[in-house]
Parts: sequence; C-alpha cells; structure tokens
Amino acid sequence: MKKRAAKARFLLALSLAVLFLAFFLFRSGTAGKPLLPALQAVPSVLRWWGGAAMLALGALLSGRAYCSVLCPLGTFQEAVWRCGGRRLSGYTPGSPARYWTLVLVLAAGVAGMAAIPALLDPYAAFGRGVTQLLRPVLAGGIDGLAGFLENLGLFGVISRAGRIPFVPGLFWSTAVFFLALTLWSLRKGRPFCGTLCPVGTFLGLFSRSSLLSVRFSGESCTGCGLCGAVCPQECISVKERTVDADRCVLCLRCVSACPGGALALAFGGGGESLSRRGLLRAVAGTAAALGLALWSGRKDGTVPAGASSRDEKLSISPPGSKSRGNFTKKCVACTACVTACPAGILRPSLGEWGAEGVFQPVLDYRRGYCQYGCTACGDACPTGAIESLEQGEKQLVSIGKARFLRRNCIVRKHGTACGACSEHCPTQAMRMVPFRGGLTIPELDPAICLGCGACEYACPAEPKAVSVSGLAVHGKIRQVSGGSGGPTVAPLEEFPF
Amino acid sequence: MDRREFLKRTAVLGLGGAALLLPGSVRRAFGAREGLPGLAAVRGGEPGEMFDRGVAALGGMERFVKKGQTVVIKPNMSWDVPPERGGNTNPELVERIVRRCLEAGATKVYAFDHTCDLWRNSYRNSGVEEAVKRGGGVAAPADASGYFQKVSLPGGRALKETAVHELMLECDVFINIPVLKHHGGAGITMGMKNLMGTVWNRGEFHSKGLHQCIADVSLFRRPALTVIDAYRMMTRNGPRGTSEGDVTVLKAQILSTDIVAGDAAAARIFGADPKSVPYIRSAAEMGVGTMDLESLGVERIAL
Repeated sequence: MKKRAAKARFLLALSLAVLFLAFFLFRSGTAGKPLLPALQAVPSVLRWWGGAAMLALGALLSGRAYCSVLCPLGTFQEAVWRCGGRRLSGYTPGSPARYWTLVLVLAAGVAGMAAIPALLDPYAAFGRGVTQLLRPVLAGGIDGLAGFLENLGLFGVISRAGRIPFVPGLFWSTAVFFLALTLWSLRKGRPFCGTLCPVGTFLGLFSRSSLLSVRFSGESCTGCGLCGAVCPQECISVKERTVDADRCVLCLRCVSACPGGALALAFGGGGESLSRRGLLRAVAGTAAALGLALWSGRKDGTVPAGASSRDEKLSISPPGSKSRGNFTKKCVACTACVTACPAGILRPSLGEWGAEGVFQPVLDYRRGYCQYGCTACGDACPTGAIESLEQGEKQLVSIGKARFLRRNCIVRKHGTACGACSEHCPTQAMRMVPFRGGLTIPELDPAICLGCGACEYACPAEPKAVSVSGLAVHGKIRQVSGGSGGPTVAPLEEFPF
Repeated sequence: MDRREFLKRTAVLGLGGAALLLPGSVRRAFGAREGLPGLAAVRGGEPGEMFDRGVAALGGMERFVKKGQTVVIKPNMSWDVPPERGGNTNPELVERIVRRCLEAGATKVYAFDHTCDLWRNSYRNSGVEEAVKRGGGVAAPADASGYFQKVSLPGGRALKETAVHELMLECDVFINIPVLKHHGGAGITMGMKNLMGTVWNRGEFHSKGLHQCIADVSLFRRPALTVIDAYRMMTRNGPRGTSEGDVTVLKAQILSTDIVAGDAAAARIFGADPKSVPYIRSAAEMGVGTMDLESLGVERIAL
C-alpha cells in the first residue's frame, strides 16, 4: 500500500497538470469560471483574504502537500527529473536565500512591483510556459490539420486553435526560464521549490507544525540511503534520521522506496510542533499572507483620469478589471486571458503598464476589437485582476472612450460614403448624421461609448479618424440595448412597385 | 480550378457582362427563360413558405440548380446578434434554400460570409450556421486571407481587382441571400452590398468610395438568384442595430434573377427611390443589371 501511495499521488498531480495544460492551451470561450486555477496559491491570495487563510490552514494540516499535488510547475519539475532518472545525494542544507526571495516578493507586491511576484509565482510561470512554448506548436499542428481537411472539402470537422499575439520579449524570457529550469531539474529534482518559490517557502513556514508529516519512526532504518536518492527536495538526512519539514513536499517517494518501512506519513508535527519558534513562524506567515490579501483587497487609489490631451492615448485594461490600479496590482501575467480572448486582442504588454507591469496584458485594437457579448477574459482570470462579468453587466462597462478626429474622416477628406465605424459600433455611440451632398458623417456620443475599439479597428482612414483612449477607472454607460421594447409589427400591405 | 479554366470563365463572364449592355428586349430573348418572370415579390408569409412560392413563380428551383452542381449561398451572417435583431439573414429562409438546392440535385451546398464581428460568434449566434447544417449544407470559414484569391474586375471604376473567397471561383451556382436593412454608411443594404462579404479586404471599399466599390464588385459574379430577406427589416441603427426596437416585422421577400432589379425593388420596400441609392444607379449604368422591373417581368404574390 505504501508503494502505491507515491504512485497515486504522482498520477493525481499529473492529471491536474494536464487539466492546467488544457486550460492554457485552448480558448475557453464560454467554459465558465475554471476551478483549478482559482485554487492556486497566489491567485487565491490575491482574490480574497479567505484564500490566504485557507492556504495557511491547509499548510497547518498537510504541510507542503500543495507543492506535490496542486502546483503544475512542481509537477513539471518532478516529471522532468523522473524522465532523466538521476539519483540524488540525499541531503543538502536548505538555502536561506529562499526566505529573502519570499521577503522580496512580498515587498515588491506591496510596493506595486507586480513583475517580481509575476515572475516567481509558479502558477503564472507555468501558464506562460504553456502559452508561449507549447501552444504555438500545438496550435500550428491543429490549424495545419484543419487546413488539410478543408482542402479535402471537410469544413468544420475540427476548429482551428487560432493564434495568440506573439511578443518576442515574453517568448524568449519564457524560453530561457524553462530551458534553465529543465536543466536544473534534471540535476536537482525540484530545485525551484527549494530555493526560489515564494509559495513553497511560505507554506514551509507552517509545515514544521503541520498535522501530517513524513518522519522516521521506529528502529528499522538501516541507513541504506535509498530514501535520499529518490527525494527531489534533498531534504532527508539519513545520518541524523530527520526529514526537513520546511522543504518536504509530502511526495511520499521516500516512503515507497524505504525497504524497511522506517519512513512513514504520520500524524503529529515533525518534532518541533509546540516550540515557541514554530509558533512564531506560523504566526508570521499568517500575518504576511493576510496582510498581502488585505492589501490586494483594499480599495485602490486610481484617479479616474482620461487622456490629458487629444494626442495622448492611455492603455486599456480588460472589461472587469475595474481600474488600472486594481488590474496592475493583481495581475500575475499568467496569460490565461490572452489565450481565452476569442478576438486575440489581449497582448502581453511591453511597458504600457510601466516596467513593473511588464507582460500584464493590454487591449490592442490593431488586432481586432473587444466583442460586445464576450466575457471570456474575466471568466478565465483566477486572480481577480479581471473580474468575471455577466454579459448584460459587461455591455455597460466603459473601458475607454473613443475620440473622433473629423479632419481624418474619409467622408470629409474624400467626399465619399463610409460609416465603417458606426457599422461596427454596438451602442451607436458612433452614429451617422447628415453631411453635405446626401452623405452621412459620424457623430460621437461619448456618454454611451464603451471604448470597445470596434470603430478604431474598422476605420479605413490613414491615419485613423477615430482612436480609443483607456479610462484609468472604468465607467458605466446607460442602458442602450433592449430598452425600447420589441419590434414594430407592420406586415407589408401592398408592393410599392 | 486551374488558371486556364479560370481565364475561360472570366472571359465568359465578361461576355455575359457585355451582353447586358444590349437592350432589355434582346437580353430577355437570350437570358430569361421564355415567359417566366425575372422577379418575384412575396408578402404575408413565413420566410420558408414565401421562398417556396416565389421560386415556384420563377420556374422552380430547377431553373437555377441542375443535378450534380455545387452551389454557394451567401447569406448575411456578419453580426454577432440573434435572429430577432434582424442583423443577419433569417435562418429559416437559409435552411429552406439549402434544402431546396439539394432537392434539385445539388451535390454540395456551401455557405460563407467574411463577417464583421468575430466569425465564430457571428456564425453561431446569428443562427445561420446551424440553419445551413440543418438544411444539409456546409458552413465554410472565411476568416483568413488564405481562403481568398485575387481576381481582376476589368469593368470596375473604383475597384480594379480584389480577392474573393475561393468558393466563389469553384462553385457552379451562386445564390445571394441578403437581408434588407438600414445602413449608416450606404443608406440601405441588400443584394449588392451583401457581396462585400465575399471579399477579403473590406476596408478598401470604404477608402476607395463605398458605393462605387459595391457596384464594381457586383461585376465579378452575378448571382443566378438573389433572395432578399425582408421578413424582419431593420429600419434604423443599421447595419448592426442596438435592439429589437430597431426592427419592423414586415414579412416580405424579393426573389430576383437580376441583382440590380432585386435591389431596386427592395429599396422601394424600404421606402427609398432606387435612383437615390448611388450603388444601384452605378450598377445599372455599368450594365450589371436593370432598375426597370417591368422589363424583367414581375410576379407579385400575397399569402
């Protein structure tokens, strides 16, 4: 039974990682709120204070089991290492650097330097790995197959995966990260978990006092060292017959490997459960998590500003993100929304949100426009950076305002009919009014403009006669759709010809 | 289709276009089948039954679709709005036409539209994709430039060449199924304006002169039949509309062998003089078709 425990745990972790893969690979569309990403540590802490409390409670119950079951980046490292099959030395002392990393991440988070937590959050890092490295290959394959079938006259047999915006900076940094992590994991098991991961280090503050832990018990240990060779955290000291609970992720491999049954998953702390030190650590950890959660939940102080001049164009955050402050504070740049956006207009930023918000997505209306009935990005976001909106709710949220530059308009410049902007405008904030010679020209009512970018995308003028600037704090427009009741019923009485 | 065949077909189309410049009487002797009307106007029924009655008056589906032919239909499914909003062609009508094409012996019926809103959402939420499938046809994508091929429009005044969907080049029969709507830019949209969804570069139409480009693109391939859906007519805020309040349930339909005549009749139903719609006037001048309904023979049907 002990033999099977480690295998069952790994299979569970693998299947969860596969679900994560699917989440990041395919456009979720109308899939609704995904549960699994919402259970991730950093997203749940950012979303609500209860998430932090749950995390701390979970760690007090089962230590760092989260790392070996729920964390997709942990599973990635373990899988890589097991493929390589390298036996490890058994014990290396834990690096104190990991505490400083945790402090750095917390401090950066509170200071609004979102890029640092975003870089080191294992969930977000895994997400970027899938969308940047795996998705292009798979999507290319799927689309190639779709094209092949279409050439045979088989349309719609498989849906195209479609492309997501390619940002070289993000691609290369992700590629370097994963190349380094792969090489490192082949040598060292789960190196990220033991040295860099802020989530693992945070959970480690509690795990020494946790209810469940892996321990040496009885006198059956012969000192053979088999346990150490299979421990991906290198946290078992055979000489001293101790398991470093700070780093143990309860993967149970040692329990399975031990021929004499000397190692077991047992109730009761790892030996230090009631010490003052353990208690202090747990209290400090809880305070840190709750502090971060409360900080991220507090009302943000974004000033509701539009562009200060006609030429200034502020960046636009997705509908549901409420304000620039809320969005940049909570986004970990996992790119789930980038994949979910069916219009493909969410692009990882390169400084639009400042250097500290690098790769947090921004709406790019050169690629398309925000679809009136779509709520996919908010449905995909696990951190609350983009909140999930009902369709009716979303259709009233103004994320920016269009500005009409009449001097650039085709109708005025060439004296020919156009109206592409108004055509695409779902609220008719951009509507056509009489102009000279029987022509019509756009007129903008900013009060009902959603800032969806349909007009900007559709405008054929060069330079564009309409451009959308973001609102630092999102607004609400008055109801325009469905307000006027049903259609007029007036069947044609006679033919006018 | 290889290049030679394509050139041949272009030449035939060119000759066809030239033939249109001949007086109506001569043309009728060549084109329209003896004694059959060229245009049927139907009112007072459901979309499917109005089509059946109208097409029967024009000589039956067999006049347009022969056994073994492939058919391409071009409904309007450009907008991510439900059928009640009148932004797209009525799904029931589309389903009926697909079914009748297959019953007449068509081997395959394709439908496509280069949509304005996101194609997946528009195909789905317009209800047209589902209707095409129910009828037994195939809804083909048109969301990437790879599906389009460059063609020249020798008679075009503003648009000399464009890229049209490859199915337009490959099919034996082309049937145009627009919906009659208000249009902020073009005034009214119906048959010829619907052809804008057969080309890849829509923006070019707007920058080169919308009305003339609409007339020009109609030169490329004249539909064997244009069925203008006026069951629900959007009277304002077109072409997308903002609510059902923009729609009048009119229960009418125009079926025409001549796309210009169809548009002229539909314009009158909308309450406009066809001569005041620049693309209809241009197309008539260029010989795409005629605004003179009576020369074509009109059948008026009330259900």
